[in-house]
Amino acid sequence: MKRKIRIAIPNKGRLKQPSIQVLQRAGVNILEEERAYISKTSDPRFEAIFARAFDIPIYVHYGAVDLGITGHDLILEREADVHELLDLEFGKCQLVVAVPENSKINSINDVPAVARVATEYPNLSRKYFEGLGKQVEILGVRGTSELAPKLGLAQIIVDISSSGETLRKNNLEVIATILDSTCRLACNKIAYRTFENEINEFLGRLRQGGLK
Amino acid sequence: MFTKLHTPKGTRDYLPEEVERYRYIEKELRENFKLWGYQEVRSPTIEFVEALSTGVGSELVDTMFKFQDYDGKILALRAEMTAPVARIVTTRMTSTPEPIRLFYLSNVFRYSQSYVERGREFWQAGVELIGCNTSEADGEILSLLISSLRKVGLKEVRVDVGHASLLKDLLKATGLDEEKKGILQNLLAYRDETRLEKFMDQNNFPSEVREAFLQLSCCRRLDEVSSISLNSSEYEKANDHLRNLLEVEDILADYNIEDFVFFDFSLTRKIEYYTGMVFEASVPNLGLPLGGGGRYDDFIEKFAKLKLPATGFALEIEKCLQALTTQGFQIPEKTKTKILVSSKSRNAAIRAVNVLRDAGFVALLDITKNDEEKIMDYGKLAGMDYVVFVGSSLKKPATIYDVGSNISRNIGIETFLQSIGGQS
Repeated sequence: MKRKIRIAIPNKGRLKQPSIQVLQRAGVNILEEERAYISKTSDPRFEAIFARAFDIPIYVHYGAVDLGITGHDLILEREADVHELLDLEFGKCQLVVAVPENSKINSINDVPAVARVATEYPNLSRKYFEGLGKQVEILGVRGTSELAPKLGLAQIIVDISSSGETLRKNNLEVIATILDSTCRLACNKIAYRTFENEINEFLGRLRQGGLK
Repeated sequence: MFTKLHTPKGTRDYLPEEVERYRYIEKELRENFKLWGYQEVRSPTIEFVEALSTGVGSELVDTMFKFQDYDGKILALRAEMTAPVARIVTTRMTSTPEPIRLFYLSNVFRYSQSYVERGREFWQAGVELIGCNTSEADGEILSLLISSLRKVGLKEVRVDVGHASLLKDLLKATGLDEEKKGILQNLLAYRDETRLEKFMDQNNFPSEVREAFLQLSCCRRLDEVSSISLNSSEYEKANDHLRNLLEVEDILADYNIEDFVFFDFSLTRKIEYYTGMVFEASVPNLGLPLGGGGRYDDFIEKFAKLKLPATGFALEIEKCLQALTTQGFQIPEKTKTKILVSSKSRNAAIRAVNVLRDAGFVALLDITKNDEEKIMDYGKLAGMDYVVFVGSSLKKPATIYDVGSNISRNIGIETFLQSIGGQS
């Protein structure tokens, strides 16, 4: 008998509930307490793994899980070579470059020769600024990069923004958009070969009822 | 804390047990490559960066460890072996009759700029079949790949085949600009059919091409591509590629391996030089491919004015080992009996180890001059089967300590040899 298909789901944050709902609408209910890292589901072929959205691309890339729900932005940031079988259409956000409202930097062209950028996305930020020929210093931070300009840690931040509210609250304004992102159903490339029938059947259910 | 006693990131040591397993895989692969008439070559670990970067694409060049020679020339550690083999063939083997069949077992080095930590030194086993562009050559390479992985002991091996030029020529036929071609290629690699369809509708794809993309995405076996019809003359090249895939399928059937080879239109190997069939080998329950390769007909001419079509593959030995481990494969150990020999008479001890080695046993000479008890302790800890204490002459009975049963007995060396199945 084939082993169970493992699907990773964000264990917290804005992607968690919509992910669980999408699975429910596709007929896969999570049966166990969320505290458990590995949960049984109502579909005996699937088991759910709760993990950080940021780590899910890596889990999928290496095949530690077969499927994973996570942001397109995170898949790119973690350089995961995976199939993105379906755009789940929730978790819409943009990866943006932002500066304090009172900053002298008003556009990406104003970014000075020497500048520090605080971000949770060091890889994508480095690629973006290198592409523009800007030599900036990238500071990798975990969460609350909005704080960095206030403390003088960095003049610029690169962060995701969905409604723009957090940025506004922190008196930051967007000067450029690096990419648009939504949540995706990522799939390990070899797992897709092994479980193609099961995964395609699951995809069919997602397309029919799973997406709003 | 930084200490020079660590190895640099992405590199590591291999301890004896692990080297044994590596050597097992290398031996099986080498033997099989040779049975198919492939001959081994070696190239230097360092080469001029120009030679290593010829035709491989900037992405790979970016990953090379580069440094300066004393005379100012830029050198690099090899990042893959196809370029070195192409250089060897065009400069050193010009009078060798084609097709040329070569193989290598080498370490290659890749530097990753990303903070995603990956290995930086890999061991590869690979083959190159140079000077022939027939589908029979493609079939031979796929068949050699499968037979080699099986020889190593892997089960449920499968190979997925795509076609670099089929994809390129169809992309060209779409008339899209480079950016949109990139998006389309990503959607194919994502296997996101919903968005693929949407994208093709938005960009007014000719219905013939639209159908071809959708059908190719669904094809899983090489013979299924026969259902694709591209009639107008602008798709002539694409049709040639489809014919190539069908021919390969026929050849695989002759090898009786057609059930292990699949079609995967989304398969794109990252190295730029591929022009024809590309492929990847994998086993279930290992999330990364074991290796892969493909046809590169325009690559070798970049080294010399020689049009030499070629195809080949490279396997990552570590991945093969991981796959064997996940499949629970026990690597057949050649358990030769290990014997530690000690004597007050050095001359007698040396003669004893020689006799034992001649009889095919692993014989170690005690060089510590320790007392018997310590020597026996060492024998136990070091995994010896026997510790033999010989007298002043081999004619006299020796004390044979059997580590497993913890029993000592006094017998002649000849009798001992016979008892453990050696011929003297």
